[in-house]
This record gives sequence, C-alpha cells and structure tokens, in this order.
Amino acid sequence: MSSPALARNPSEASRLGNEPRLGVEQVSYAYSANPAQAPLFTLEATSFQARPGEIVAVLGPNASGKSTLLQIIAGALPPLSGRVLLNGFVVHSLSPRTRAQRIAMVQQESRLLFPARAWEFVLQGRHAHGRSLRFESSDDVLIAKNALTQVGAAELSDRWMDQISGGEKQRVILARALSQQPLLLLLDEPTLHLDIAAQVGLLDALRRLAAENRYTVVIVTHELNLAAEYADQVVLMQRGRCLRVGPPASIYQRELLEQVFQTPLSVEFSSNGRPRVTVLSGNQP
Amino acid sequence: MRPLTLRRLLLQCLLLTVILFLVVVGALKFGAVPVSLYALARDLLRVILGQSSQISSDYGLIIENIRLPRIILGIIVGASLSVAGTSFQALLRNPLADPYVLGVSSGAALGAILGLIAEPHLALPPAFAALLTPLCAFLGATATIAAVYFLGRREGQIDSTTLLLGGVITASFLSALIMFLMTIVTSSNTRGMAFWLMGNLSTSFQKSVYWFLAAGFAVASGIIYTTANDLNLLLAGEKEAMHLGVDVRRVQLVVYIAASFLTGLAVSVSGAVGYVGLIVPHIMRFIFGSDHRTLLPTAALGGAIAVVIADTVARTVVAPNEIAVGAVTAIVGAPLFIYLLRRRLT
Amino acid sequence: MSLRLRSVASTAVVAFFCAAAPLCAQSAPPDSGAAPAFREVVDETGRAVRIPQPVKRIVSLAPSMTETVYALGVQDRLVGDTDFCDYPPDAQTKTKVGGGINPSLEKIASLHPDLVLVTKAFNLPETVHSLEGLGISSYATDPHTVNDIITSTKRVADLLGVPDAGTTVGDDMQRRLNQLQHQLGALPPRQVLFVVWTQPLISVGRSTFIADALLHAGAVSIVDSSQDWPHVSLEEVARLQPEYLVFADSHSETVSAQVDTLATLPAWRILNAVANRRFAVISDAVNRPAPRIVSAIEDLARQLHPEAFADKPSDAKDKEKQTSPGPAKSSRNFAHDMPSQPLETHALAGGCTCAL
Repeated sequence: MSSPALARNPSEASRLGNEPRLGVEQVSYAYSANPAQAPLFTLEATSFQARPGEIVAVLGPNASGKSTLLQIIAGALPPLSGRVLLNGFVVHSLSPRTRAQRIAMVQQESRLLFPARAWEFVLQGRHAHGRSLRFESSDDVLIAKNALTQVGAAELSDRWMDQISGGEKQRVILARALSQQPLLLLLDEPTLHLDIAAQVGLLDALRRLAAENRYTVVIVTHELNLAAEYADQVVLMQRGRCLRVGPPASIYQRELLEQVFQTPLSVEFSSNGRPRVTVLSGNQP
Repeated sequence: MRPLTLRRLLLQCLLLTVILFLVVVGALKFGAVPVSLYALARDLLRVILGQSSQISSDYGLIIENIRLPRIILGIIVGASLSVAGTSFQALLRNPLADPYVLGVSSGAALGAILGLIAEPHLALPPAFAALLTPLCAFLGATATIAAVYFLGRREGQIDSTTLLLGGVITASFLSALIMFLMTIVTSSNTRGMAFWLMGNLSTSFQKSVYWFLAAGFAVASGIIYTTANDLNLLLAGEKEAMHLGVDVRRVQLVVYIAASFLTGLAVSVSGAVGYVGLIVPHIMRFIFGSDHRTLLPTAALGGAIAVVIADTVARTVVAPNEIAVGAVTAIVGAPLFIYLLRRRLT
Repeated sequence: MSLRLRSVASTAVVAFFCAAAPLCAQSAPPDSGAAPAFREVVDETGRAVRIPQPVKRIVSLAPSMTETVYALGVQDRLVGDTDFCDYPPDAQTKTKVGGGINPSLEKIASLHPDLVLVTKAFNLPETVHSLEGLGISSYATDPHTVNDIITSTKRVADLLGVPDAGTTVGDDMQRRLNQLQHQLGALPPRQVLFVVWTQPLISVGRSTFIADALLHAGAVSIVDSSQDWPHVSLEEVARLQPEYLVFADSHSETVSAQVDTLATLPAWRILNAVANRRFAVISDAVNRPAPRIVSAIEDLARQLHPEAFADKPSDAKDKEKQTSPGPAKSSRNFAHDMPSQPLETHALAGGCTCAL
C-alpha cells in the first residue's frame, strides 16, 4: 500500500525514470591525528552511482572506510577530493536544513538524554521542513503517522523510546527517517543489534519502501548474506580502498571475498540468482 | 499522539503566570515590616497610575522602594537562571549542568572582588559608583565566556565535551583565585563579599538598572527560544541533530553566548544563587515534558516563582535580620534534587 | 671492619645531634639563665594557660593586642605582629608573621616568643592549638563591652609584669569615659545605624563591644541582634529611621562619597539619614578592642551631640594618647549635616524630620 506523502515529488521521480540520482565521484578522505605525521587515508578515491528505487550495499570488514564513505555521502564530512552529487546538487555545499530535506540517515542506537515517546521521536523528522521554530502542522502529524505505519510500528506510537526492544527501536528510527520525505536513505550497519527475524523484517521493509517510494538506499554492512540477498548493487571495500562495484553476482567471487574478509568461504548461487556465502571453519576438508 | 500546540503552550504559561502573580502578592505582603493587603492594593494602584508622590502610608515607601524592586529583581534573576540552566543542560547534553558549570559565576565573582579592591583608588561620580560592583562582575563574566569559548573549541568549533571540560577547569581556577583574594582582603570586605557570593537580592539599584536587566533577559531568552526546536533535536546527539537539519555549530554558539549572557546578568546583580538553574528545569520537565518550546517559558516562570518565594523566606524567617537567598535555595534545593533523581530512577 | 663500625657510629652520632639541636633550640629561649618560672592563668575564653615568667618576648596576632602592648609601654618586648597591625606607625616596623587567621607558625616559632596574644574574634582556635603543640603559650582576650576592654587591658598588663601601667591606662580610659558620661548628661541617646557594609547591609550585634561603645558615645544601635555581624533588612531600617548612620573609616571623604552614592539608590534614599546626609565618621579604632577605642567614642560623641561640647574648645582635650601621629582620621568635630535636597516630610514612626 503506497503512501504518496512519503515520497518527495513522486511525479518528478518517475519522470526522471532511471537517471542516476546519486553520483559519488572519486571521493576520498584522510585525517591526520598529528600535524607532523603524514595523513592517514581512511578512504581512497571511490566512485559509484545509484538510481531511484535502487538499494546499494557498501560491504567490507571493519575499518574498511565504509562509515566514512557514508558520512561523506550524507554531507556530514567534506571529502578531501571528489564530490557527491544528488540530483545534480553537490551535497556538501547544501545547508544542513536542505540536506535533511533530501537525505535521511538511520544510525544504530539513538541515545536520548530525556525520554521521549515514539511519535515525538518520529515527528523530529519533520524539523527540516518549514521554519525552525514552529508547531507541527496537521500535515506533519499525518506524515509521521504514515511513516510509523509503513514500518509496521503504528502500535508503538505512544510507547516510550527507552521501553521498547532494539528491533522496535530500529523501526521507529527508520520511521523518523521516512518522515523526512527523503530522496536518499542512508543506513549505517542497521542490523548490528538485531536478531535474525528483525534483520529480515527490516530489510524486507526497506526493499518494499524503496520500490514504492522510489528511495535510493545505501546500506553500510558487513553482513555478506544480507547484502547478497537485498542489494541491487554492491560496493566492495577493504582498508579504505574500493575494490569493485557491481551487482552481487559480479562481486561475490570466492577468491575476492576470501581476500577481503580473510577467512575461507564458499559461494553458491541460489534459485533466485542471488549468491549465498558459507563460512568454512579451519577443520573442513 | 498529541503534538504541542500554541494553545496548550499558552495555557500552561498562563497557569504559571497566575501562580507567579499570587506569589508576588504574597511577597509584597510578607516581610520584616507587616503590610495589610488593602493598603498594598491602594499603594500599588498609585504606583501604576504614576501617582507615587501621593503615597503617604507608613509602609508605602518601603514597598515601593525596597520590597517591590527586590521582587522584580528576584523575578528577573530566577527567570534568567532557569532559562540559562535549561539551555546548558541541552547544550552540554548533561542533566547535571547548571548555569555556573562553565565558570561564568566565578568570573563574575572575581570581577566583583577586583572592583571592590580597586574602588577606594578610583574617584567615581556617585551614580556610577553604585554600579561599579555589578559592572565589574559583568565584565568578569564576559571575559570568562570568551575564555571558555576559546578553550572549548575543537577544530575551530564548539564541541560540547571540550566546552564542559574547559568550563569546569576555568571555574575551579577562578575559584582558587577568589579564595586567594579573600584571604588578603580586609575582614570587613570579606564579610561583605561572603554574603554576596552566597547569592542575595538585597542590593538596591537605580531604576534604569532594572529596565536594562529586563530588556537583557527578554532579548537573550528570546534568542534562545528561536532555537527551541533545534535544542529538542540536539538532545539526541550532535550528529543526529545535524542529519535532521539542525545547523549544530550555529545553534551551539548562539545558545552558548545567550545563556552565558543571562547567567552573567543574573550573577552580576545577585551573586551566585544556587540550585535554581539546576532544579527548576528538571521540575518543569517532570510536569510539562522535555519539549523546549514549552520548557523554556515554563522554566522561566518557574524560576521566577522559586526565587521570589525563596527570597521572601530569606527575609522573613529571621526578621528583622536576613539570611542569604542562596542559603534558602540550597537548603530546599538539595533534598528536592535527590527526590527528583530517585523518582526518575524508579 | 672496626673502621666501618666506627664510621657508622660517628655518622649516627652526628645525625642524632643534627636532629636534636633544633629541638633543643626551640624549647630553650636564647637567653635562658635562671630556671623558667611559670604562671597558671585562665584566659578569657576559659582556657588554662601556662605563661613563662617573666615575659620578655611577645608576639601579637591581633591589631588590638598590638595597640594594647604599645599603650602599656612594653613595645620593646614586642618581637612580631601581623600584617594588619598598623597602629601606631612603629608597629609597622616590627617583624611580620602573616595575617591574623593564617599566620606563619614557623615565623612565630623562629621569634621564640614567651607569649602570644590573640583575641577570640580575630584569631582562630586552630592557631592557638598549633602554637600549644609547639610549646608556645597564647593568651586570648574576648571583650564584649568597653568595660571588658578596660579589664582585659589591666589583666594583660598584669601578665606582662607591668600592672602599674595597666592600672594607669585602664583608669585613664575609665576617667575619660566617666567625663564623657558627665558631659552628655541627660541627653537622649541618638538612634544610629552602625554600618559595617552597605550592600548587603551588615551591622553589629548587641553582644559586640562596638554596640557597647556606641552606648558610651551617647548613641544606641537600632539593630538588636544576637548575631555579631547580622545581615540587616533595609525595610527594618526604613521603618525605624535612625537619626544617624555611623561609619568607621580612616578616610571621611570616602564615606562622604559613599553616602552620596547611596542617595542615588531608591532603597536608601528613603532613609532620612541618607537624604539629609546625617552621618558620622570615626576612625576604625572603634573596631579594635584596645585603649584607643575611647578616642573613637569621644569623637563620635562630639559628632552626635555637639551641643554637649559647645563650651569646650576642641583642642582642650588631648584625645590621642600616642605622641606619634596616628593614621588619617576624621578631623571634623561635627556630624555631616548638609541636606542636599529639601527635607522629606514623611510622618514615619520613630523618625525625626527636623534638622539639627
């Protein structure tokens, strides 16, 4: 059941058809802890594109520069070189308010200093639309309600955020991101603290929402099988370098994955054409 | 789902305003000198109508020149400290923050003491001499605000953790300086300063000072109020707030300066009245929730109520002597805070 | 082996004497000839004190005690005083041992005093206990009235071995006070507010010698508090409308400017004494329980009751016992009585609206 209110300019989205919405062009990042030392490159020149409705997985082991890449795409970090374009606009040069109208970020845990109810939390997503100091309009309330329904968390509306489970909290955080009516939805390791059912539930919802509302979704993860199952495109990272960009079938090559993840694996292809990875322990013949 | 509406906000403020009015009436009635409500009403009417010269009742002059200005001072100081406390708690994302945590009150106290030491050596016209202490205190506060800002920066912008650390260190350094100065200053000066440091509203000022204070409060708290929604989002974390569209650096700078200014304003005229800026925000949050669009005005009104009540107690409980209002707020504030803490934990 | 034992032994002996020498030096005064005699007394705080006799070296830890020592004429026995001991000027040349609350115990000990003089108001019990621990005796005075000051002076004189000087000084103080009483006659005492600090308003309590000094000067403090330094409500002062404000300051111009400043403030303006500039300034001798307080009392009496002294020229009485000039004190003999604005005509209870 699609909710037109959650998609920005749906007519525009369909008119643009399948033009790339997100363009990451030769983006790199470095920081130096010590001015005297040479800077440490956490991210070397990385590029990829993504279309409306597409899910991109940025895949790699820890410390591969995935989160840095995501922060740069979000506009929170300025790239050392290169740029990120969203519908032709350079993301980093937009104001935080404009950025928040187009890009929504879902991070793992949300630490709230003082307790809030779920609906209050989701309403925060509406902040970027309209003047800073204002009272939420009935439209805002409707959008927030829809967002909670879309993620299947409508019954959590009046619950306190610190009294719901991790999976439920993750859905509410996603609902807040949806209420921003973004073009681009970014998620940083969203499945980290979730049990398997919650993980699948979340990703199913993402796939459905991306299709219905034409979001472009970029997920940072190290979960090989989830990325394989849900991503349309995979960006494979290792130690700050982007090794390969492409559909899962072209990325999930055993030697490549073993080299990146430093562990023996076996790769099979399931009936729907998606690869599946099995980790081999040392004692396997 | 009941989002905040303007109507609900106004109702809450109206309720608190009525309470404040009643408290003010009580404060006007009670004091070292007893006053009847009828005489009070009659004289207040005369003041409002600009017929002060016709006040001939025994105690009308006392009301107009001593008690009423003191109550007004209490309202401004209480409101300023509460708004500042609320702002700092949001800015530093720390429920234990109070207006003095960043050292502004220590800077003001140091300024006041230095002014005191310098006064005999300066030939000042009478009207200005009365302003010397509050002015020096305010200068001290301003200098501290600037110093802590520069200390609290990381990579050129305010970082809440660094700010907190910088402020705490500055506060304790300044306190050490103050203690040192107190030991070398003569004993009568020490006594005067000690009362001032504890927080007291008994200082009399020229009329223009009260107008200035009111204007300063209105402007600074108005500025903070424009960031009320941003502060709501800031509570979730700086990164998250930014992703939701808050210009975090700008909001932090604006709120820091405005809240420190409010603190400096209050401390310059009343010394450091404790616990108000810490506890009133928590009480108001407990009753009205943590949405800053409600919290800021209700904290201001709540702070005004608290300080006027505390000051009334301070000047009636051992009448005709007084105790410092800071002593009353401490005696009431500390146990109250413990109670609030325990309620939140259960 | 025996060589090594010898060197160890001699080192130990040398070390022992190095450690023992300063201890010996502390306990024995430099010029101890005969076996020290002691006198057991009880000081004014009720402590039992053993005072070596005779007392040859004195350290004073309070300005009032320093002045008393000089008044008794035994200043050459004073080997140390505090930074605040400034009267008479010669006291400033004595070795300084620090402040009254935080004197340097080492410095005091290095002066080898026989007796340290302290007062309950100016000094801390901790100082006294620390000195006791070092084997140094202290004697504390605690006068609450002017008569107490006279008695204390005589007692201290007795301890210092100059009872005659004590009698002379004490009797002179008494004589001057009686004379003053006689001159004031049946004049009603002036209602005054003794101002220690203006904002916040701090005055003196009824158990202080200052309040008693006011009584001797033909004045009565409108503040009746059991606290020594009460924080007084301005409302109460406005209700009582004291006839005069009394300030203790060595500079009368400062006070005059201060009162001018107060006159610009609404809460003070409604005090008749401020509006009509009725205030008296006396030297800060009134803050010190020493013989010189009588001069301050006399000065205040003259300012508050000029008519009682009208037939006596101001130079007929030598108010200063000390020959060396004291610090700058008020040279006026009359109260400041220059209304700078028309007299208010409010019929406030207890207020006097007529000019003197």
